[in-house]
This record gives sequence, structure tokens and C-alpha cells, in this order.
Amino acid sequence: MASGVPGVFDDRVVFGQSAAFSGPAQELGINMNLGIMAAFEEANRNGGVHGRTLELVTRDDAYEPEAAITNTQALINDEQVFSLIGAVGTPTSRSATPVAAEANIPYVAPFTGAGFLRDDHWENIINLRASYAQETEEMVERLTTDLGITRIAVMFQDDSFGRAGYNGALAALERRGMSLVATGVYPRNTTAVKSGLLDLRLGEPEAVILIGAYQPLAALISWARHIDFDPIFMTVSFVGSNALADELGPGGEGVYVTQVIPFPTDLSIPVVASYTAALAAYDPNAQPGFVSLEGYIAGRMAIAGLEGCGADLTRDCFLENILGAGLIDIDGFTMDFGEEEDRKLDNQGSDAVFLTVIDANGSYRSAASMGETTP
Amino acid sequence: MTESTALPSAEPEANTDGAQRPAVHRRISTQLYAGIFGAVALTIVASIVSWVSFSNVGRSQDRVSEESVPRLASAFGLAEFSNALVAAAPRLTTATIEQFPAVSQEVSSAQLEFQFRFDSLSLQMPGDEHIKRIRESARTLMANISTIAGDMSEFHRLTSITEGLQSEIPALQGQANDIILPAIDNQLFFQVTGYRDFASEPTDAITRTSGDELLLYRHLNALQADVAQASALMGSALISSSAAFVEPLQESFESTADRIEISLSAISASEVAPGLDTTINRLLELGVGDQSAFRTSADRLQIIERQNMLLAQNQTIAVELLDEVRSLVEVARDEARQATENSSQTISTARLLLVIISVIGVIGAGLISWLFVGRVLLRRIGRLSGRMLTLAKGDLEDEIEVVGRDEIAEMASALEVFRRHALEIQRLNLVEQLAQELSERNDELQSVLEELSQAQDQIVAREKLAALGEVTAGVAHEIRNPLNFINNFSAASAELLEEMAEIYEEFTNDLSDEDKDLVEEINQDLNDNLQRIQSHGKRANRIVQDMLLMGRGGGETQMTDINDLIHEHSLLAFHSARAQDPDFIVTLEEEFDPDMGRLEVVPQDLGRVFLNFVANAGYATNKKQKELAEAGTVGDYSPTILLKSRRTDESAILSVRDNGDGIPPDVAAKIFDPFFTTKPTNEGTGLGLALSNDIIREHGGTITVNSEPGEFTEMVVELPLTRAKSTPLAEASGDNGGGTGDGGGTGDGGGTGDDGESA
Repeated sequence: MASGVPGVFDDRVVFGQSAAFSGPAQELGINMNLGIMAAFEEANRNGGVHGRTLELVTRDDAYEPEAAITNTQALINDEQVFSLIGAVGTPTSRSATPVAAEANIPYVAPFTGAGFLRDDHWENIINLRASYAQETEEMVERLTTDLGITRIAVMFQDDSFGRAGYNGALAALERRGMSLVATGVYPRNTTAVKSGLLDLRLGEPEAVILIGAYQPLAALISWARHIDFDPIFMTVSFVGSNALADELGPGGEGVYVTQVIPFPTDLSIPVVASYTAALAAYDPNAQPGFVSLEGYIAGRMAIAGLEGCGADLTRDCFLENILGAGLIDIDGFTMDFGEEEDRKLDNQGSDAVFLTVIDANGSYRSAASMGETTP
Repeated sequence: MTESTALPSAEPEANTDGAQRPAVHRRISTQLYAGIFGAVALTIVASIVSWVSFSNVGRSQDRVSEESVPRLASAFGLAEFSNALVAAAPRLTTATIEQFPAVSQEVSSAQLEFQFRFDSLSLQMPGDEHIKRIRESARTLMANISTIAGDMSEFHRLTSITEGLQSEIPALQGQANDIILPAIDNQLFFQVTGYRDFASEPTDAITRTSGDELLLYRHLNALQADVAQASALMGSALISSSAAFVEPLQESFESTADRIEISLSAISASEVAPGLDTTINRLLELGVGDQSAFRTSADRLQIIERQNMLLAQNQTIAVELLDEVRSLVEVARDEARQATENSSQTISTARLLLVIISVIGVIGAGLISWLFVGRVLLRRIGRLSGRMLTLAKGDLEDEIEVVGRDEIAEMASALEVFRRHALEIQRLNLVEQLAQELSERNDELQSVLEELSQAQDQIVAREKLAALGEVTAGVAHEIRNPLNFINNFSAASAELLEEMAEIYEEFTNDLSDEDKDLVEEINQDLNDNLQRIQSHGKRANRIVQDMLLMGRGGGETQMTDINDLIHEHSLLAFHSARAQDPDFIVTLEEEFDPDMGRLEVVPQDLGRVFLNFVANAGYATNKKQKELAEAGTVGDYSPTILLKSRRTDESAILSVRDNGDGIPPDVAAKIFDPFFTTKPTNEGTGLGLALSNDIIREHGGTITVNSEPGEFTEMVVELPLTRAKSTPLAEASGDNGGGTGDGGGTGDGGGTGDDGESA
């Protein structure tokens, strides 16, 4: 190892990714990996970064926290990666981040909006996306502002991810002097959502915020529609928008999903154009999607960090380059890190939350305002 | 003569010493052997004492090493392995299943080692109380360890089953829940909404809220709770710390299992939970029978309790055992210490003995060397060496004292002989040296004598010349006056004769022709006579002048360019010769040293010398020329005079060389004598070279004549650069001639050539 820094060689830099490549969340891991690799291969085709090609070592944690811990340890100690990137999920990140923090290894762009990752005591975590609290805040804001809805319920998966969204929604309502009209819970890694659905129906909500995985949520929406319980269903980006739309099929029309990155098929956005080209070059058969776009932006962000360090690459330099950079512009998609008004360190790049809705064809389209979409 | 007889007389003495040599040898060897024997005897005594001491020490050490040390070592070994033995049992119980074989092996070998040490120690200390008690404790301890070790395989088997159960039970519970939870979810939803799936129509309210459906829902919920409880009970049993608590847990489990059986049979008719039976029956099996969680846990806990009891017992026994072993070690250590003390006692006794013997040996050796070597031999050798040194310094006179009759005495007498020889040689050398010196002195005297004789000759010659000069000057002075009269009156007579001739002319007619002729003849004769008188008068006058010059002193000295001086005077001589003889021919060649420079000389005197030399040379060459011309064999002869000057570090060498006929050796010896000349009477006074010689001598120089008869003549003048002090002779002659000399003396230059070269 020429540089003395793990994962940094004269001709390459090695990143590591522990994510779900199997199980109910596998679409998320696969697509994050796809996007990151598209970005890395795009850079490698241009000679790499400062003469170093970018490599990515992956391990499957199947969305299980224990596996996330062992994978992270293995990536740090056995694979000697320079940085971790593109982890998927809140419980898995929660288990893996202490391991990464102890090794002081960069933990870049986890695919989750959990609040604890945005705590300012972390020195090694770089978040790309807006938090779940921001997503739920956006939902509540839109529901109350655009539609004047007051009766809002929450359905969440009984784990840290679900509770993060639940707490975000609760806080957003409390800010407006409102409270939940009903709360539904379903067991993690099951589709036993119908009892929760009954609980929701009892509250007669106008809108239901869903925090969970796409399969149970799709089941829940389907059954709700089946029993003529038809509030506005909204969910956060983590759901895996495309998987959710596929699962719902025609019944998915009118389901809102908040997104933290731009629309992946809108080629008028420069970063989406770059992404589309990179993805096509990397895998001609791949379909564009939100998750792989987020992966691509994560890869580009990592590349920006590497570029700033020059030939003498270290982890500290890499972290400083991103976290201390202030604004990072990736083809028009801007991220703002560094010291901010109310916190000594903002380790979250983007605060953007976009609202999308599934149309009658099962496709997403952007929803600038909820009112427009109301039939 | 006395010394020379002493030399042979030394030989018989040496011979007589030689004849006594065997006796001498016996005596010196006797002394040496006595000394060596004494030393050897002391050494042998010391060795015997050492041997005795060492064998005593060896015996003591043997006692230590053969009895005390092994016993102590065995006791220590026993202590060590007692500790290992005591530590063995807890290690057995804490070993994992992977570690167990190795630990077990170590424990067995510790047991064997302990047994071995103990056996050897008990052989050494039979009947010892400690040994007996140790045997008892160890027997119990080992029995306990064997029990524990025997239990361990069972314990490990049970532990492994426990671990399997601990992972299987939650997994089965999870599987059951995966079925039960959706079933409950679906059942509740069905009962509330009437839907079981998307495809079918909703069931009516009466049917879906019937007792059967309610009971199904209830049993499903009960099943979930009971499965959770059954799992929890088994989990609790597996982690229980006491076998006593296992029984009540099993009791509760059996009740729960009964309820689960009831619920299972209640829902078996419905299709809500397919596959649940298998999962739950498997779960229940884990709580029943010999392999059940409860039985396993109880058995395992029993083993643990028995082991704890045995370990506690071992603890007590171990304390006793270690105490006993420690006592045993103390006993062995005391014995060893005692043995070591005995051994050191022996060693110190032996050491004291050795020291005494060594002291005696050292003193004895000292006495021997002092008495024999120091007092007798060394002092005598020293004396002899002192005498050798004085001999070397040259003191050969004192006789060497010969004391005793050994080798040293022989050396002394040999040295005495040597001394006498040396004395003799020294004296012979002295005589030879004296003779040599005498001869040298003689030679010196001889040469001094010769020098004196030469000096004497020179003095005589000088005195003779000086006296001659004085006489000559005196004579000349006296002759000059009468000579002046002769000359003056002859001149006056000539004038008178002229007057008489004039008068005669007036009377010439009065005379007859005959008378006239007669008168004229007489007048002629008188004129001729007067002419002759004047001519010879002048000659006499010239001689007188030369004679006066002989004794005259030199003029003032002054710095003079020598080359110029020679050049001018040679030309002067040449021209005078040409004036007398128009046929005179000579070539003057000059080879002057350009560095000659100026010398402090009397220029008139030195000039006269070269005037003489050149005039003589010219005379000689001219004479040879004329003789050759008369003989008609002039050939290529060319009269030549070579003038040379050369300056050396100390002197100026000036020479005049002609190629005339040279000087025969008999003539050469006389050329400097006054009045000696080879020229015709009219032409030389014989004073020129004598005068030249005088002048050069006055300048402190010398004249040398080199000549080869028939070939050449060379006159060489050597003048010192710093003018030598005038000799008394020169001064005397200078004083003498001072008043009489006519200064330049050049008036007669042309005619002074007086030394003939012609043979």
C-alpha cells in the first residue's frame, strides 16, 4: 500500500458497500449499487481520479442489523476499504455507524433519512439526502396548505425506521397544533398490515402517512382501496418508489411519494442527463429510477471529495473536502455542508424534498402542488 | 717480557681448573638438587594435604548432591506439581470443548509428574508423617479430578445441546409467528370486513362473527401467546442457574403445552394456519423427553453443582496438601542447608590447611632462594659482572679474585685469563703507537729542516744579491764622476779639434800637400778616437745607470690597469727595437682577461719588467729570423710574441711568450744572475732580468720560466691580488736605491734586453 492509507493505492481507491442485495429490501441495495457504479465507471473511463481508478467492494446484509455489523467490520478490517458508501436502511445504519465511527472511516450517503445520522457529534458521516423529518414535514405542509386537511393518520413499521418517520410526522403535526387521528403498526418483515389498517380506519383520516417497506405498504393500500377506505396515501422516499409502483400496479394511482432527489427521467435536469448517460454506458439494460439516481449522485459526491484531495489522499482530507466544502454542485444539484446557523456541523448535503405521485399508468410524475392532482 | 710470560702461565691454571671440573659440577648440582628437592617435597606435602582436603570436600559435596539436593529438588518438584494438580480441576471445568483435550492431557501429565515426584520422595523419606498425609490428600484430590474430568464430556455434550436449543427455539418461535401473525391479522380483518382475499366477495356479518370464527380468532391469539410462553419457559430453563428451578419451569411448560395442543386441535379444521402443526409440534418436542430443554438443563446444572462441590472439597484438600508439601520442602531445605554447612566447614578447614602449607612453601622457597641463589650465587655473579664492566671500561690492572670451586669460580678464572690477554694486547698496541708517532715526528722535523735549509739558501741568495746591489750602486756612483769627466772632456776635445781644424783651414795654403795630408790624417784619427771615447763613455754611463737602478727602491704604488700597462710597454719595446733596426719584424698578439681590472702595483717598475720581457722576446725572434734567412730556410716562420693575462681567485697570471729558439737548461739556471747575458758585449748589460726579478719579488710575486729549446720561451709572472707585505729585503733594497735611482729608468729601454735566448 503505497500511501499508507487503507484502500488507497497508487492506481486505485477501494470503497465498500454493505447493503441489502437479498430479501424484501433488495431492490434498494441493487439500485444504490447500480448508481454508484455508474458514477465510478464514468470517472474510470476518464482515467479515474488523480490517476486512481475507483473500485467498490460489496457485501449483502439482507437488511439485517447483525449482518450489517459483521459486513462493516469485514470491509474495514479484511477488505481494508478507504470509505464506506451507499448503505441501505435505518436499522442497519444504526448498527454499522458505531463500527465505522470507531475506525474513523467515512460513512458516505447512507440510503436513509433517519435523524440520528444527522446528529452533529458524528465526524465521519456524510449524508446526501434530506431527513425523514423533512419528508414528513413536507407531507404535512402540503396536506394542510394545499388541501386544508386536518385528519391525518400514520401507519409505520415497528422498528427504528418506522419510528423515525412516525416521530417526524408527529412533530410536524404538533408544530401546527394538531394530533394524529389514528396510528397503525405492523411487524417488521411481515405483511401483516390488516389489523393496522383496521386501526387506521377507525380514526377516519383524510390522509395516511405510511412509513414502511414497499410490499406491506402496497398490501395495505390495496386492501384499503378494496374495503373502500380511500384516504390520501403518502409515503417517504425510502419505500423504493419504483418497487412500490410495480407492486401496486393500476391501484397505485394517486399515491404520493416524497422524493429527496430529482425526477430520474427528467432529462431537462443536467444531473439527470449525466446520470442517464452514465447508467446507459454502465448497463444498457438498466432502467432509470430514484434509487439508482441517488446512488449516482452519491458516487459523484464521493468523486468530488477525492478530486479535492489531490494525490495525497487521506480519509481526513476526504471528509474535510466534503463536510468543509460548503456548497457542492453536481451538475446543478447543489448540496450545502458545513457550519450552519443552528448547528456546528451540517453533515447533510441536500435539504430538497420533491413530491411525486403515481399516475394511472403506474408511473410517477412530479407534483408541484397537491391541489393539481386532486381528481 | 714479564707480560708475555704471564700469558702462558695462565694456561696451566685454566687446565688445573678444568681437571677439577667434575668435583665442581657435583657441588653446584648438589646445591641445586637440594633446593629443587626441598621445593618438590613441599609441593608433595601440599598436594597430599590438598588431596585429603578435596576428598573431604568431595565427600561432603557428595552428601549434599546425592542426598540433600535430590531430596530438595523432589520436594520443590512436588510443590510445583502440587500447585499444578490443585489448579487442574478448575481449569478442567472452565475449558471449552475445543480446549478440553489439551487441558485434560496437561492435567494427566501433571498427575503423573506429581505421582513420580511423590514416589521418589517417599522412597527417600519413608515413614515421614508429611509423606503419609500428602499421600492421603493427593489420593482424594486425584479421585476428585478424575470425577470432574469424567463429568466433563457429559457436561460438554449437554452444553452443546443447550446451545443448539438456544438457537432452535427462537427460530421455531419466529417460524410459528410468521404463520400465526398474518393468520391473526387476516382473521381479524375477515371478521371485521368479511374479506379473506381480493378475489372473493365479502362474507356476511353473521357468518363472519359466528362462534366458530370468534373461537378461531381466540385460539390463534392464544396460540401466539402460548408459543411465546413455551419458548420463554424453555429459554429460562436453559439459562437457569439452579437445577431446583428447572422443575417448576417444566411444570408450567407442560400446562402451556397442553393449552397449545388444545388450540392446535381447535384450529386444525380451518385453513388459516397451514404448516403450523409441524412447527409447533417440533417446538413442543424440545420440552419433552430425555433430550428436552428441561432435562438437559437439569442434568447440566447437576453436573455443575457436583463439580462445584468437588472443587470446594479440592480447595480444602489443596490447602492441606500444599501446607504439607511446604513443610516437606522446609524439611528438605533444612537438611540441605545442614549438609551445605558441613560441606563449607570442610572446605574452610581444607582452605586453612592449604594456606598454611602454602605459607610454609613460600617461606621455604624464599629461604632457599635467599640463602643459595641470592646470597651465594647471585652475589658472586654480581661481583663477577661488576668486574666485567670495569674490564670493559678499560681497567685491566686489578686482578680478579677467584673464590670457591664451582662454575662461577671457573668463570672468574677464565675472566682472569681473559684480563691478562687483554692487558698484554693493550701494552703491545701502546709500543706500536709510540713508534708510529715517533716516525711521524721525524718526518715533520725532516721537512722543517728542508724548509729551513731552503729558507736559508733564499736568505743567503737575497743577502748576496742585496750586497751585490749595494756594491754595484756604490761602484757606479764612484765611477760616474770620472766617467763624466771622460765624456765631458772628450766632447770638449772634439770641439777644440774643430776649432783647430778651422784655424788649419786658414793656414792650409801655407802647408805642403804632404803636410796637409798628414794633418788631415791626424785630425781624422783624433776625431775617430774621440768618437770612440764618446761612444764607450756613453756605454759606460748606461751601465752605470743600470747599476744604479739595481739598488733603487720602487716608486709609489697605485691602482693600475694591468692589461693597459702590458699593452703600452710592449708597444714601447717594439718601437724601440724598430728604431734601432728597421728590419725588425714581430707580430704582437694579446690574449687579455677582460676581468683583469686594476691592481695596486708600482706601474713604472712593473712596466720595466714587461719592457724587458718583450725586448728580450723581440731580440730572440729577430735573431732566429735572421739565422733562418741566412740559412735560406725561413719557410713559414713568423716571429710572434703572445701577451696573456689571466685572473684567478687569488692571483693575476701574466705571461710573455715568444717563438724564438728557447733557452737551454744550463743557461736557464743563470738568467736572473746580474751581469749574465748571452748577447754580444755591446748589446746587453746582463742586469735586465735580475732587475725584473727584484721588482716582481718586491710585488710579492714570482717569475717562472718555461722554455723548449728551439721552440719557445715563456716568462710567467704571478702576482697576488692582495699585495703581500714587502719583505725586509725589498725594503732594504728600496731604501738603498731610493736616493740613487733615476725614477723612470726608461731612458735605456731599447738597449736593456740582456737575457740571451740564443743558444
